Amino acid sequence: MTIKNVRDRQYLNVTIITHLDGKDIPVKFKYKKRHDREKPMALDILLQAQETSLPDLAFRYGCRARNCGVCTIDINGLPRIACRSVVRENDNLKAMSTLPVITDLVVKRDQISRQLRGKIYRNSGGNDLNVDASEDYHELTSCIECYACLHNCPMHEKNNVELNESRERYKYGNPFSLLKLQAIVLDPVSSNQQKDDAVTQAVKLGLDTCLNCPGCKCGIGIDLKGKVVDPLVNASKKIEE
Amino acid sequence: MRINLVWKEYDVLVVGSGGAGSNAAETASDMGASVLLVTKDPLSASDTKISEGIATVRGSGSEDDSENALSENLQLAGGDLPDINITSAFAKDSQKAYDKVRANGLRPKISAITNNPDPLPLPMGGHTKRRSIGHKNSGVAFGHANWNSIVKDTKIDYKEDCWLIDVITETNKDDTKSVVGALIYDAQCGEILAVVCASVVVASGGLSTIYFPKTDTMRGNTGDSYAIAARAGAELVDMEQIQFLPFCLTSPPAFEGLLGGEPVTASYLGVLRDKNKKVILDGVYLRTRAECSAAIMKAVEDGRGTKNGGAYLDMTANKRAPKSGVYFMNFLKGSLPSAYNNVRQAMSKSESQCDDLWEVRPSAHYMMGGIRVDENCRSIGGSNGLRNRGISGLFAAGQAMGGLFGANRLGSTSLTEGAVFGQRAGKSAALHAQKSVINLLNKKLFIEKAKRVHSLIGQKGHLHASKIKLTVQKKCWENLGPIRDKRRLTNTKLFIRKTKKQLKNINISNRTKWNQALIEYLELENMLDTAELMAIAALERDGSLGGHVRSDCPNISLFSKPYSTVARFFGNDAHVTRLQRKQTDFKKLIKFKFEEQKKFLGAKFLRLMPMRLKDNILEKRYKKIMNIQKSSITVQPGSVEAAIGDQKIL
Ligand SMILES: Cc1cc2nc3c(=O)[nH]c(=O)nc-3n(C[C@H](O)[C@H](O)[C@H](O)COP(=O)(O)OP(=O)(O)OC[C@H]3O[C@@H](n4cnc5c(N)ncnc54)[C@H](O)[C@@H]3O)c2cc1C
Ligand code: SF4
Ligand code: SF4
Ligand code: FES
Repeated sequence: MTIKNVRDRQYLNVTIITHLDGKDIPVKFKYKKRHDREKPMALDILLQAQETSLPDLAFRYGCRARNCGVCTIDINGLPRIACRSVVRENDNLKAMSTLPVITDLVVKRDQISRQLRGKIYRNSGGNDLNVDASEDYHELTSCIECYACLHNCPMHEKNNVELNESRERYKYGNPFSLLKLQAIVLDPVSSNQQKDDAVTQAVKLGLDTCLNCPGCKCGIGIDLKGKVVDPLVNASKKIEE
Repeated sequence: MRINLVWKEYDVLVVGSGGAGSNAAETASDMGASVLLVTKDPLSASDTKISEGIATVRGSGSEDDSENALSENLQLAGGDLPDINITSAFAKDSQKAYDKVRANGLRPKISAITNNPDPLPLPMGGHTKRRSIGHKNSGVAFGHANWNSIVKDTKIDYKEDCWLIDVITETNKDDTKSVVGALIYDAQCGEILAVVCASVVVASGGLSTIYFPKTDTMRGNTGDSYAIAARAGAELVDMEQIQFLPFCLTSPPAFEGLLGGEPVTASYLGVLRDKNKKVILDGVYLRTRAECSAAIMKAVEDGRGTKNGGAYLDMTANKRAPKSGVYFMNFLKGSLPSAYNNVRQAMSKSESQCDDLWEVRPSAHYMMGGIRVDENCRSIGGSNGLRNRGISGLFAAGQAMGGLFGANRLGSTSLTEGAVFGQRAGKSAALHAQKSVINLLNKKLFIEKAKRVHSLIGQKGHLHASKIKLTVQKKCWENLGPIRDKRRLTNTKLFIRKTKKQLKNINISNRTKWNQALIEYLELENMLDTAELMAIAALERDGSLGGHVRSDCPNISLFSKPYSTVARFFGNDAHVTRLQRKQTDFKKLIKFKFEEQKKFLGAKFLRLMPMRLKDNILEKRYKKIMNIQKSSITVQPGSVEAAIGDQKIL
């Protein structure tokens, strides 16, 4: 084995696209493996970069275990959960393209939740809580809010996602907001009125866009088309009638 | 460099959007208070969201589960350090508080027999009753409910990406102190928020990040709660008591510190061994987390630790048993599936199949001490625990508060703690705000404090906060970690003093929006203040007790007179005193000790029996557990199976 080969096995070369005041600045980074066979995750790379050559690198993370949902970044243009995505030679690590970038790999997330502000679980008090929820309800509440599903969503793309000071809500929805609304529909504790309201909200957020869309993809594998979009579309048709 | 100071006025400021913060905000808002909730992580991203999702609800398993029984379990486990008023409040409110979380969408499995949520088949360690309820999707299910509680109507204002910097107090004529507001770094907008409010609820979680990467908790646990409260003049109790989980992973880096197993999953024949394969602890399944952690760290101390500074967890005897071995593997996978999932990904096949030993090492998990409060979450102080000796208008809930657990935390109690005391804190905060008027002349107090932040932005220096953080974490692990002695604790104090002096040489860019260096700086400062208070509390407790292990002193007996440590700042100096606690009745203590010893003897006896005999006994035992397990809950919380979506990873 040549010396070069040994050295190659010790390092992994990636590009981290940092971001400052509206500009992307690609930075080459050589990750030093801690042992030959290490297959580092994207988060390992970012942590080592911060530890060495980029001490002020900004990125989000929390649990390191695919639970908190805050570490999503784009790897080679596709949304990935950084703490559990293995990185390969020459990969590009960049902020999610679907939300406005604040600094480096940090995006502004809260407009997504604001979209549903005042629109879920009103007056839920007083109902009998001792009822079992369906498997589908539990499938939807396994969502970790990673926002990977925003990628390639035509409905979300209708929003202007430039970074601006206002905390204005996005007008159009996305798979996550539809999921939260469908969870109300599936919740055995919701009243019929609440369920209808949830469907109406989905329509207001632009549910009709889903009609001509091949469907969305969830970062942890929730069946968004089958369990969220299709049922909402069907329910909205019923309400119209 | 100047950064905009933006003024806001509210009745109540809630800091944190985990279980404690969400419950506090909702309750305060329901009582008519105007509420601002700020959180440094995105809404509801917190320890609460990443937890195993098992919650204590008194009476869920049997009708004879009295308030006294639960309160007593906490007292005994906590070595009589817990405040009885606080454990009683916990026992009193657990059902009510849990139902409020359910109203926001948490849906446990309902038993067909009792028509109530169904607890796990066996009582968790230290609980004398079945009362721990598991949930599909584990903590994520709590995360959704908390998220819903904030977003559901437009009453609660919330802001993400906001770091609480300091609580601002004024000193009254009678020398008491009251809250007038807080300063917050809004990284998203690049502003400093000056929030004028009479009540601040500190629900900003724990401090385990001072041991990173030897922790399984969220990155944000940099001790902000404790440091900020202490800088405002509040007292902290039991700061030497941190819970380490004994069986966490040591490698690869992506998994370092994460949970592998618990004492109970080591099962009947599991033992701990040192690097020479000599047994260092048996009857592991009956031991507390603290006992296992101490055994591992003592071996490491004596130079008998494994490569990565841990010990071996040997479960091969469980596996080898011809008949019961199969049951054991099912038990292991079924009881803690998310932990087992970590093991499967991080270890070799023969290890994850328990044909080989697991290398394990303790990880920081939970701070049992915290801000000194009464049962209504109001800051108190002095030897009699008076409110006028605390900070009027300062409230704490969840991991941030102290007094509930003392020297040991029982499993599944923290999610309930967040709900019970979050709600109590919200109520107290709203009531306090109703009675208070804030004198706006105090604006200059805010401006004074803000000056410091102005001067930090653009500070020139050759050091980086993110790098110093790593040194601090390493030092804390070595000197303030799961094993301690006087020399190391004194070193820690000196090290902290020295590092504090370096803060002025940290380089911070002059950007206002999401300035990572500023964030790291603020967190580093909190880590240092917290570690300093922990170190003096740990020096004061000159004996091992619960989560605090001193290799240079004997154990503190359960029968000696119990006291808590109380740490606080006077100006820049950290001080510690003792606070006498009430002792449990001697008869009860003796019974508790006796039962414990009986169990250990039984476990040892079983382990040393001939294989054929013990295999038969074990087979019966496993069958019994598995049967109840089947009839009540098939999918265990925290599992891949529970996170249905997780089975089809992209
Ligand atoms: C892996 C794991 C499993 C667990 N399993 C269980 C279990 O099964 N059962 C159980 O009962 N307990 C469990 N626990 C413990 C339990 O989850 C936590 O103790 C509890 O959730 C703490 O709740 P909290 O609201 O006090 O804090 P957290 O939920 O940690 O919330 C803290 C909040 O404060 C915010 N914050 C922090 N600092 C600042 C600041 N300076 N400014 C603004 N915001 C700030 C954070 O962003 C976050 O929103 C587990 C813990 C872990 C880590
Ligand atoms: S189906 Fe609807 S929500 Fe899903 S990607 Fe298409 S437009 Fe977006
Ligand atoms: S639906 Fe899936 S991809 Fe979208 S936020 Fe939830 S977990 Fe992430
Ligand atoms: S860090 Fe929590 S999901 Fe990646």
